[in-house]
Amino acid sequence: MKKIVTMFLSLLLLIGIVGCTTTQDSSSNSNSGSEGDSQEQSSKILKLNNGAEPTSFDPPIGFDSVSWNALNNLMEGMTRLDDNDEPQPATAKEWDVSEDGKTYTFNIREDASWSNGEPVTAQDFEFAWKRLANPDTASPAAFLAYFIEGAEAYNTGEGSAEDMMVTAVDEKTLEVQLTSPVGFFPTLISNPAFFPVHKETVEQNPEWHTEADSYVSNGPFKLSKWTHETEFVFEKNEEYWDAESVNLDEVHWAMVDDTNTEYQMYKTGDLHTSDVPADLSEQLFDEGKAQVEDQSGTYFYRFNTEMEPFQNANIRKAFAMAVDQQQIVEFVTKGQEKPAKGFVAYGFEDPSGGDFREVGGDLVSTDAAKAKELLEKGMEEEGYDTLPAVTLTYNTSDSHKKIAETLQQMYKESLGVDVELANQEWNVFSTEQKALKLQFSRSSFLADYADPINFLESFQTGHSMNRTGWSNDEFDSLIEQAKNETDEEKRFELMHEAESILFDEMPIFPIHFYNHVYLQSEDVTGIVRHPVGYMELKTADIK
Amino acid sequence: MAKYVANRLFAMLITLWIIVTITFFLMHAIPGSPFNQERNTSEAVQRNLEAHYHLNEPVFVQYFIYLKSLATLDFGPSIKQSSTSVNEMIGRGFPVSAELGMLSLAIAVISGVILGIFAALKHNGTIDYIAMTFAVIGISVPNFIMATLLIQQLAVNWEIFPVATWSSPMHMVLPAVALATGPMAIIARLTRSSMIEVLNQDYILTAKAKGMSTYQIVIKHAMRNALLPVITILGTLVAGVLTGSFVIEKIFAIPGMGKYFINGINDRDYPVIMGTTVFYSAFLIMMLFIVDIAYGILDPRIKLHKRGN
Repeated sequence: MKKIVTMFLSLLLLIGIVGCTTTQDSSSNSNSGSEGDSQEQSSKILKLNNGAEPTSFDPPIGFDSVSWNALNNLMEGMTRLDDNDEPQPATAKEWDVSEDGKTYTFNIREDASWSNGEPVTAQDFEFAWKRLANPDTASPAAFLAYFIEGAEAYNTGEGSAEDMMVTAVDEKTLEVQLTSPVGFFPTLISNPAFFPVHKETVEQNPEWHTEADSYVSNGPFKLSKWTHETEFVFEKNEEYWDAESVNLDEVHWAMVDDTNTEYQMYKTGDLHTSDVPADLSEQLFDEGKAQVEDQSGTYFYRFNTEMEPFQNANIRKAFAMAVDQQQIVEFVTKGQEKPAKGFVAYGFEDPSGGDFREVGGDLVSTDAAKAKELLEKGMEEEGYDTLPAVTLTYNTSDSHKKIAETLQQMYKESLGVDVELANQEWNVFSTEQKALKLQFSRSSFLADYADPINFLESFQTGHSMNRTGWSNDEFDSLIEQAKNETDEEKRFELMHEAESILFDEMPIFPIHFYNHVYLQSEDVTGIVRHPVGYMELKTADIK
Repeated sequence: MAKYVANRLFAMLITLWIIVTITFFLMHAIPGSPFNQERNTSEAVQRNLEAHYHLNEPVFVQYFIYLKSLATLDFGPSIKQSSTSVNEMIGRGFPVSAELGMLSLAIAVISGVILGIFAALKHNGTIDYIAMTFAVIGISVPNFIMATLLIQQLAVNWEIFPVATWSSPMHMVLPAVALATGPMAIIARLTRSSMIEVLNQDYILTAKAKGMSTYQIVIKHAMRNALLPVITILGTLVAGVLTGSFVIEKIFAIPGMGKYFINGINDRDYPVIMGTTVFYSAFLIMMLFIVDIAYGILDPRIKLHKRGN
């Protein structure tokens, strides 16, 4: 008996030891410790955290930041956004636009080539863009291609690939016909969904994008190592047409999911940048260490216009005007967000150089007295003696809870209304909100492409992003007109008009615009974070 | 014995089937979809995605499709990470989780037993109090607090160990210790109490009377009886260590199984939920079975095969 016990214990010990030795082998392959330190003298290695395993490095599939932040530096589309978020020629040397604004002709650089040395061709682009719209690809980003004539029909199964109007005229010329004159098309196609793929590789090996060995890219970096769920490594791509401008030799991407751990790694020098843990944000702001960059998106609340009492516009307005956005960003979120008094975020320039948000001005004001007045007016209109019970729902999270509790407090003070709070797990919440089962709920919007229309089109009748039951013919027609308007000045006017209708009716009200708060080592320069778009490392450098 | 094993194996299969069925229907009963996004997605795109993963079929049809592929041990592709199959995920994640689990279990058993024995020998002495204070701390401090404390002191302030990730033996120390404290405390307390009991038995007095040294008494006579209860709870401890590792894996950015389990549920990634549940259930049922068998071997008074006759 004794032997069995000792055997069992020694077995456990053995397993422990074997465990240690197997990983010792694997660690000798990776350059950690002193080896890495000595390398840093000669080569520039940027250490970033991707947070999680990328969903996919196949451009049309990985429709999220854990995939596209990295992918944006592996691949390159026709255009790339510069420091001022303007599209610049990238794989395309230049492009022409037809007079009606609907046909774009792109000329691809002679020296644009893939990491395997082959030239990037117009056929690669045609193949990639049709693949994006192909219903069999099942790309969650496919709707971005709907601007191209025939893409929507192809994606919904009503048309065919031949009818999608993107054509390789010759090896270096691509012609695209759009459904409407989309002025921001060059910006749109900087999006990773529109990245080319190496046609031959994709056709030969459908799994080409799952491992570093088979991955073919055309951007500033190439994928040199990918240890799934652990890390991936980029190396400078010498085949890249503008390799001269690329300063970094390698980028190491860790996958640390925990913000506190990420922050600790940043402090010990294992990472060059980090997000800010919620508990520390105030302190880090005070110390001036946290940096802020705008992100094009809005934190807002939706009314369900099909549920009492929010079928009444005056009651909706009362609930909107009782909210003090300034107080929320100052005392609740404390992340230096800009308070939102309109739906379209800052950062969209009109033809005369003005910012869309500034020109549009404040469309909702904080006014407790007026709110109270509107509430009474609305109740009279609906014949209410007492207001039907109101439940505010948010998806379970500390930060949303804090805002919801503040709103509850504000309604109590300004309107004398007791609002119930309820929270739900995110996926349940999202399903109920889409099915219009929630009366009054928390929402957010992040722009998919850099134009005010992306914000505003959400509230067209029946749009999948509407989720309020709100419908307004005039608004719908203004959006349609704006989409077909070639004159930029008129287009902006139409969009301003649409936004003011949205706020006259108030099916939603905004809280704040998003931003991105981060820490970054002083040695690192040149990382570009766009309000709409993904991280740029092309010109990043380490001292 | 063979009959007992066969019976047990059959019962295990039935148990697994029940778990599969309940999980499958519960999972589809929760509102939500793997393609739910806060951002805009067009309906056509949603339909394409659903068709791609057969989610547009009735749940019963999906259930039979699933059972069929399960029979061939194919857990299907993940919906969220479409290029990875659930089999691959388990293949990648489980060895890492197992390594972490084994390591911390070894730490827990070895240090727990040693602490327990010393505490029992110096019963009500200083060593006993110190050891049991450790044990109480180990039981009452949750492992994620322990992990954060360890990182702050040993990794950030003293820079002895790396903060996180999983690449060298040095990287394993902190997570293994953080995960081991709870089980270690339980084992120490259990060893102590059963050791005290055994040490008061007549045969120990006899051994003492024969003039054997304390060391010999403990190793030769006391330990094998004192450890029986420890062996009994090992099965449950393995379960505890495995489930407890979810949090530890997240904090230390360890590429184990834990996150698949959690993220699978959050994302409504049905094949991942099923795959991890089935795999874990099979593993735990197996563990309990092994413990039962081992128990029978260790303690001749327990006759497993009797019930079969």
